[in-house]
Parts: sequence; C-alpha cells; structure tokens
Amino acid sequence: MRRISLAFFLGLISTVIFAQDDLMNILDKNSTNEINYTTATFKSTRVLNGHSIERMVKGQLDVRISHRFGTLNTGGYNFFGLDQSNIHLGLEYGILNWLMVGVGRSEYEKTFDGFAKFSILRQSSGAKNMPVSVSAVTSIALRTLKFPDQTRTNYFTSRLAYVAQILVARKISQGLSVQLTPSYLHRNLVATELDPNDIFALGAGARLKLTKRISFNGEYYYIANPKTYLSQQIYNPLSLGFDIETGGHVFQLFFTNSLGMTEKQFIGATTGQWKKGDIHFGFNISRVFTLKSHRKPSNS
Amino acid sequence: MMKRLFISLTAIAIFLLFFVSCYYDNEEALYPSISSACDTTNVTFSGTITTIFSNNCYSCHSNTNASFGGGIRLQNIADVITNSQKILVSINRTGPFPMPPGGKLGSCSITQFGIWVRNGMPNN
Repeated sequence: MRRISLAFFLGLISTVIFAQDDLMNILDKNSTNEINYTTATFKSTRVLNGHSIERMVKGQLDVRISHRFGTLNTGGYNFFGLDQSNIHLGLEYGILNWLMVGVGRSEYEKTFDGFAKFSILRQSSGAKNMPVSVSAVTSIALRTLKFPDQTRTNYFTSRLAYVAQILVARKISQGLSVQLTPSYLHRNLVATELDPNDIFALGAGARLKLTKRISFNGEYYYIANPKTYLSQQIYNPLSLGFDIETGGHVFQLFFTNSLGMTEKQFIGATTGQWKKGDIHFGFNISRVFTLKSHRKPSNS
Repeated sequence: MMKRLFISLTAIAIFLLFFVSCYYDNEEALYPSISSACDTTNVTFSGTITTIFSNNCYSCHSNTNASFGGGIRLQNIADVITNSQKILVSINRTGPFPMPPGGKLGSCSITQFGIWVRNGMPNN
C-alpha cells in the first residue's frame, strides 16, 4: 500500500513537472506574440539643439524654456558670456501618439517657428523586430525682425525658411542611444549671390547614460554645402552636455558653438568656432503636463 | 491603419503647400543698388567683363603680368571661370584678399560680373 502511494506520488510530481514545462512553453509563445517597443531612446524631445526621436504622446503638453548665453571668450568682464542671454520659448503638444506639433518664439531675429513631428517606425523586439525608430520633422521659421530698408519692396515670403528632417535612431543598449539626422534647409531670401538658399546637413547625436537620472549627450551637424565663399562664414555646430532628470523636469545643460536654438538657425547661421572659444553655455528646461489622460493603452 | 495613412498624407500635403511659396532670392539680386545707367541686360564676356578686367586687373593679372598677382590670370575665359568664386569674394571684399587693392570696384561692375556668373559664365 505504501509502495503504491509512493509510486502514485512520484507519478503526480512528474506530471506536475511536465505541466510546468507546458506552462513555460505557453508563456514563451505569448511573449513572442507581444511587441516590445523601445522607450526612452532619449530623455527629451531634443538631443541638445536639434530634435530627437522622442515625442509627446497624445494629450501631453511640453513647456520648454531655453537659454543660450554669450561666448566664453568674452572674458570675465562679461562673466564669460552669462551677461547676455538669448531665449527660446516653446509649447509642444502630442495630438496623437505618433503626431506631435509645437510652436515657439526665439529672440534671435525675432523668429516664430512651428513644427510637426511624425513617428513613422518604432524600434521594437518580440513579435515585430524593428532595428531603428524613424520620424520625420518639418518646420517653418518666420523671421519678424524689421527689414533694414523699409523703403524697398519687402515680401512676406522673404521672412520664411523651411526645414525637413528625417530622424533615424537606435537604442543600442540600456545606456547608449544614437541618432542620424539628414536635414534640408531652404531660405527664401539670403544676403548675397554667394550664399546658398538650400543647405543640406547630416546631423549625428548620441546619449550615454551615466546614472539613472543623468546622461551625457553630444550632437554634431555636418553641413554638406561648401563653406569657403560665403558672405558670412559658418561652421558646423557641435554641442556637448548633460541631461538631468528631476521628477517632472528635464534639464539639459551644455556647451555649444551655436547661438540659435531652432534648425534654421543652428544649421544655417552658426558663426562661432569651438577652437576660438566662441562657445555658448546653454540650457533647456522641459516640463511636461498631462492635459488628457487616456485610460486604455493604444498601439496606434 | 488606413485612417492613419490618410491623416499622415493630409498633414504632409498641408506642409507641402507651405513649400509652394519657395523662392530662391538674394538681397543683391532682388534689390540691386545700381543706377539705371548700368547695363544689366546685355552683359557679355568680350564686351563687359574684359573691359572691367583690363581697366582694373590686368596690371597684375594678365597672362604676362601674372607673376605680380600670385599667378592668377584673368585674361582667358577658362582662367576666369576657374577663379570665378575667388573673384566674387574679392571684388565684394568679403574674402581674405579684397581686390582691387586700391579700392572697391564700382557697384555697376560688381553687379555685372555677378550677372555674368549667374548666367552660367558664357563665352560671348
């Protein structure tokens, strides 16, 4: 009797073990059916100056305040540039989970700007394997600074410039994300015959996570047009700095040779040179408010 | 999915409408600062450009005098085409070697050279 019950017990255990295997199989199958979308490729919607692959999800409002100070080489009398400051204010909103729009105003040439960012592909693993995230950004800049000569015939379209960008980003590991940004800038009016109306540039950005809340970011735009004979010499913008996340805010503190904070300005009008010390200290502050909370998560 | 495609295409179409108002202007060409006496329609290499150059440049930049002018020759059209970007910055005095060294060319001459370059530097 004892022997029988032992045999029965052993049999029971073995079926339990088999059953557990079956359960694991089912779990495996379920998990491969799920799509794991990569999140937090970058901390903010900007790498530093330029757009990152990140966007506001539906119903979220991002209030952004950005400053660029004067250059470090203006010396101690100007407190290494901190006496001067340029401001950009922005309001950015997620209309849909894959569509974000924003408006802003720069002190530089009294420029208003507007943009839309479309998410085309999202990096994912699991059931759908996608190695990169891809977004498109289109933006318009409207310069409202008064024309120097009021007597000539000035056109409204002369104030406009357009930018189109494709963002291709990949979160390589938990700590490292990279992004490539082919960019096209068109300016309706330039100063002289020597200056191109169209500028092509390739941006590269990266984020290296240092701690849970701090990451090191770098961003560089290579301007493909010849820069030798322009009425005003421009250089490739390079920015290096840190993202610091504190609760609902993201602070970005960095150094850059660009005074401008929007694409039109840092691609087309970066006149500073790192090796000469034309380096601006700058920061972006981002505060996200949830205006519309949506209960059911959607994949759209 | 179809809805999403539709909204994307609509949004992109709206943005393309803005691009319709694309212009390729520069202030020099749009607002020329020259008198009406300046001939900007009939600019030729043999007539206009060679006259400007012989009056202002050939003392150092002719084929025989080029040793004075850093080896830059401006007599043959091929040499002018090769150096056209340098000439543009030099006569506009925005480059490292403003030319002519004695003083700026008249605005009519500068504009005429710019027009000839914009026309594709024809040998006429």
